[in-house]
Amino acid sequence: MTPGVLSAWLVVAAGVLAFWLFWIKVRPPRYHVPSLLVWRRVFAETRVPTWWERVRRAVSCALTVLIAVALAAAVARPDWRASAHVSRTLIVLDSSWSMAAASPGGGTRWMHAIAGAAMLARSSGGEVIIASTASGIELGPTTDIRLVEDILTRLAPLAGDDGRWPVVAGGGAVHFFTDGAVPRTLDPAVVVHSVFEPVPNVAVTAFEARRATSVAASAEAYVEIANFADADQPVHLTITRDTTVLVDRWIEMRAGELVREVIPLDAIGGPRLRAQVSADGNALAIDDEAAAWVVEADPIEVLLVSDAPEALVAVIGRDPAVRLRLTSTSGYVPAEVADLVVFDRWLPPGPASQPMLAIAPPSATWLGSAGRAEDAVGWAPTQAHPILEGVEPVMLDLVGGRGYEAAEVAVIASSDRGAPVVGIQDREDRRLVLLNFPIDAALGGAPALPVLVGNAIEWLARPFHGAARPPGPVALPSSTSRIVSPNGQAVQLVRAAGRVQATLTSPGLYLVSAAGSESVLPVNAGRTDLSDLTQSTFSPRDGLVAAPTASSRSWWVYSVLLALALLTVEWWTWQRRITV
Amino acid sequence: MVRSPAETPAVGVRFDDAFLKTLARLQIVSRRAFSGQNRADRLAHKRAHGLEFADHRAYVAGDDFRHIDWSASKRLSRLLLRLFDEEQDLPVYLFLDSSGSMAARGKFDQARRIAAALCYIGLAEYDRVTIAPFGSALDHEITTGRGKGRIFEIFEQLEALKPQGATSLIDTFKAFAGRRRPRGVTVVISDFLDPAGFERPLLMLSRLGHDVFVVHVTAGADRDCADLGDIRFVDAETGEWQDIELTSELAAAYLRAWDAHTADLETLCDRYRLAYVHADANQPIEDIILRTFRLGGFLA
Repeated sequence: MTPGVLSAWLVVAAGVLAFWLFWIKVRPPRYHVPSLLVWRRVFAETRVPTWWERVRRAVSCALTVLIAVALAAAVARPDWRASAHVSRTLIVLDSSWSMAAASPGGGTRWMHAIAGAAMLARSSGGEVIIASTASGIELGPTTDIRLVEDILTRLAPLAGDDGRWPVVAGGGAVHFFTDGAVPRTLDPAVVVHSVFEPVPNVAVTAFEARRATSVAASAEAYVEIANFADADQPVHLTITRDTTVLVDRWIEMRAGELVREVIPLDAIGGPRLRAQVSADGNALAIDDEAAAWVVEADPIEVLLVSDAPEALVAVIGRDPAVRLRLTSTSGYVPAEVADLVVFDRWLPPGPASQPMLAIAPPSATWLGSAGRAEDAVGWAPTQAHPILEGVEPVMLDLVGGRGYEAAEVAVIASSDRGAPVVGIQDREDRRLVLLNFPIDAALGGAPALPVLVGNAIEWLARPFHGAARPPGPVALPSSTSRIVSPNGQAVQLVRAAGRVQATLTSPGLYLVSAAGSESVLPVNAGRTDLSDLTQSTFSPRDGLVAAPTASSRSWWVYSVLLALALLTVEWWTWQRRITV
Repeated sequence: MVRSPAETPAVGVRFDDAFLKTLARLQIVSRRAFSGQNRADRLAHKRAHGLEFADHRAYVAGDDFRHIDWSASKRLSRLLLRLFDEEQDLPVYLFLDSSGSMAARGKFDQARRIAAALCYIGLAEYDRVTIAPFGSALDHEITTGRGKGRIFEIFEQLEALKPQGATSLIDTFKAFAGRRRPRGVTVVISDFLDPAGFERPLLMLSRLGHDVFVVHVTAGADRDCADLGDIRFVDAETGEWQDIELTSELAAAYLRAWDAHTADLETLCDRYRLAYVHADANQPIEDIILRTFRLGGFLA
């Protein structure tokens, strides 16, 4: 039995109960009289009752039953159209962060959207589907309004794919509750319920730590803050590096102004950067903070295993982001702690647990077999890859090389004769870069060589997953084995189509692990398009919210009003002994 | 829930000296002359040994020759006997309704006061007064004796009465007629709410040769039943009940029935020459005795 049918039964039962209660004899108050003699004389009088006297009890009974039914219907709210054609209503909630903005009249845009969705669901009279732009279908189709209301109370603005739009088979009306912060191309049949109301907001719209362009500093922080308000207002900016306060000052910002600053960072200091803004006119809190990670503050520990390391030391040792240690092939201990191991023309019997850079490796059972030697190798990239960024073949003339047969090694650059020049392994259990040419004194002067080696080291030890990104879904390389959120909890990973999918729901610094390498992925909510809460792709709320019509308004309100009116009539007639 | 009419606080039967003196000057007026058993202050039609000369008749053998009017016999040359009207007492029977219907609203107190006042008047006239409380039947009769001094004993006995039970005038008067009694004045003090009716009993009492006086005791609240709503009326005598949705129309019908009941009693009394006096429970006893009863020709 569906809840709608159950409610209908409850209403019927209330009517029957009221009918029964009407006819049961209620013991009236007793009144002692000297004798019933005169009363018997009264009743003995034969008098033809009037039409009204004959029907008055039936009328009173009908009123009583009607009142009970109206009240029961108001409470149970049965679905009278359960047996008729079931219509389907898709209610889509825009769950972007901007929906969490406070509204001038109280509450948030999200709360207004939830209230509107609940009212729409109650008045829909058919099946309801609840969906959000972040998670797609949340519930339904269902006719259980209580379940719909329950799920609506559980939903919250959540980072998601802003471009996602739920698709539901079966058609039906589609209603979209949004503030219009994210522009979407909607089907003309979609009924848009705008909860947009312009409100002032300040935000950190960009924040990152990057390598310094001058020698005066090892790195620099770039911050961009915005005052999305109709009026000027002072904005308080704070930037901290771990526990050290780098910036703490008030900035007088004009309406709509963007302020960008670059703060030089010393080499010594923690890697965690945090920027925060505050102001009086500030409707959204989540974009008031941003985080960044100073890579330069966390040098890469590189263990070079070589019996003739001079040329490589000259190349790797110049990188300030690398802390180099040397060991000979005979002194190599697999358990040695390092972020990265470089094997120069030698390979151990088994793979290292850390990411590996193999330079002109010999044959090894766990990797592959070396092939025929080549002279004056011409080469070219076979695909775009971070390792090859800034590396032009003309700037790296290879004087020698050889073929190398290795399974599960992706070749990203090859010689003119098809021999692999640069190959990579990016697996969950192993990350490796294979440079299939020797680095010696003859090659040491090539200008692109330090770039190539530096790229390889960085890609292996500190894989770069892009600049700070907004909360939402992220796709990472398949070697990604673990993501830890800012609150220390592991993020659920989904492996599909050679990638690892994850949803980073809240801002902060995420630690990404992959085959022994670790990198930090900053997630910041502030964006110039989403943080500007004075703009919308739709008109203000009063203009576009579909005003509830008489048919869509909750009918139980009318039921209660009817019951009150009937009670008044019944009371009035009872007072005058009209119906009873 | 029990809703009852407001009970009137019990009022004593006893009267003060001034009212007793006033009562002593009154006399129960009998529209007929009845023979008593004892000499009293009331003329009987019996020609006997009284003090007041009435007539002459011819002497017959056996007459008391002390009553021969010798002067008249000499003038008329035959023996004539002087006759006198004998002054005898008047039998007065006071029927006091002590049924349950009299209990409420001070009706029984008023009835007791009326009975006490009439009893005192009778005692002052040396009449033979008998108080007969009744309900569904005739209860023990209160024989008053003779002389005003007995009134305080009567007061005590009246105060000891408790109204209860049903009303049956016919059974009461049947029991009354079952004993040989001298005819006299019978005063029926009642609300006359007898389910069996009052016409037959009163006519029976009248046909027994008594001079019947009807004292109809009512209370204003008995007539008033407006604004009671849904109510269960409980008969004070029988305990029977009747659920009534008391509409204004029904209340008006009740008033009409009540007034018809009273009118029927008055009409009956008028038709059969029974004296009728109405006494309201809230009416002062002095007003009832000195004004209503005297205007009704019941007292002189």
